[in-house]
Amino acid sequence: MKKFRSLLLAAATLAAVNTIAKADLVFGTDAAPYPPFTTQNAAGEWEGWEYELMVAICAEMNEKCTMVPIAWDGIIPALLEKKFDGIFGSMAMNDERKKQIMFSDMYYDSMTVMMGPKGADKNFTPETFKGKTIGVQASTSNANYAEKYYVPAGAALKAYKGQDEANADMAAGRVDYLVADGISQMSFLATADGGCCEIYGPVPHDAAVLGNGVGVGLRMEDTALRDKLNAAFKSFAAKGGFETLNAKYKLEGLMAVPPKG
Amino acid sequence: MFPEILEFGRKGFADELLRGAAITLLIAVSSFIIGLVLGHIGAIAKLYGGPVSRGIAAIYTTVIRAVPELVLILLLFFAGTRGISALGEAVGYGPIDINGVLAAILVLAFVQGAYSTEVIRGAIQAIPVGQLEAARAFGMSPLQVFRRIVLPAMLPNAIPGLANLWMVVIKDTALVSVTGATFELFTATKIAAGFTKRYFLFYFISACIYLAMTLVSNFFIQKLERRLRRGQQELG
Repeated sequence: MKKFRSLLLAAATLAAVNTIAKADLVFGTDAAPYPPFTTQNAAGEWEGWEYELMVAICAEMNEKCTMVPIAWDGIIPALLEKKFDGIFGSMAMNDERKKQIMFSDMYYDSMTVMMGPKGADKNFTPETFKGKTIGVQASTSNANYAEKYYVPAGAALKAYKGQDEANADMAAGRVDYLVADGISQMSFLATADGGCCEIYGPVPHDAAVLGNGVGVGLRMEDTALRDKLNAAFKSFAAKGGFETLNAKYKLEGLMAVPPKG
Repeated sequence: MFPEILEFGRKGFADELLRGAAITLLIAVSSFIIGLVLGHIGAIAKLYGGPVSRGIAAIYTTVIRAVPELVLILLLFFAGTRGISALGEAVGYGPIDINGVLAAILVLAFVQGAYSTEVIRGAIQAIPVGQLEAARAFGMSPLQVFRRIVLPAMLPNAIPGLANLWMVVIKDTALVSVTGATFELFTATKIAAGFTKRYFLFYFISACIYLAMTLVSNFFIQKLERRLRRGQQELG
């Protein structure tokens, strides 16, 4: 009887866990910290440029939204499994992803850069990578890029679960280079660990791999949500919302955003 | 006294870690209990079942103990949800949402069940056959034999093995952090470490919390075992 009672208790707790109120729209993002875009802070809340953009866009759409964390390498399967309605996580719109999911309009574009130790040779033509190690975040367009251009030239790829882990290993000298997003790396350079390194420059663009900017990732059939999001991005841009947001995060001139008019 | 990042409230991570520890315990306790039930069913099927139930139990324990928990968690969380939702709709329950906590409990319970099947089977087989024959000779039904003889005689033998499994399940909850979607202790630790860049500090604190859970449960398991073994002669 006792055992039965504890079972009932467990079932009741489970039910309680499952009935946590759901918002109207749920967006998934990388569980690992990705400053300045999405980070979970000490108050147990989200913060960052992209989180604030999501809140503003949802206000435009008159929807109640929440952000949920998910491992980056499982984010597309989780979207397809309907664990959330969209990916609001700096996802580059490249060809490979477009085969599986659909994207909203571009809401920002930045450059993929090569980062290395301070004071070293800044040349990074493919020939310089023989026997070198390049750190990337797994399942990113940056990882695909390094795979396509630098691995054939003799570089070894080291894939990390989060960009923060790749950065920590760069600071510890366990990788020779990082291929990563320029804005996230600017934010890394501003930290104490960032003193180790500098940005050597943007890598030559390849739109097929790196995509043309970042959009909200959606399931192929959710065209109504896509149209709603696109309209919201447009009206937010027309209000000058992107400029205000970029000023707050000191990102003016570093990223391309949808034009005002 | 404490650095700000270890405070409770908005500026520190103490409350996040505590919440994570509570969810870790919820996952561990629930999957251990469900695992125990599965273990009893499995052991009875293996010992008293017909060829079909024996076969099913054998496949269950072999396959589950062979596949890494990590693979099972990823399989259920990222791929299995659609199947379970379809099942829910088929029986008229509507789509079932498998959140991170539920997926963790289901997978770990399933794994625990396979291991505890073997522990419980071993403990039952350690009971002298004469005791069961005597019970049957008194006209007890199989259920009565199980409740009055098998259970009390088997439990002292099963406790050390089950205590091992309990330790294992506490630690296995950390595997769930691969999904990034479940706020258990290790995920909370990773968030705190990643946000503050104080990796050593937070991993050390979380190691201490896991150790504390183990020490406290060891204390109670010892008490439980002493009670179950009352009347038994001590060795030496």
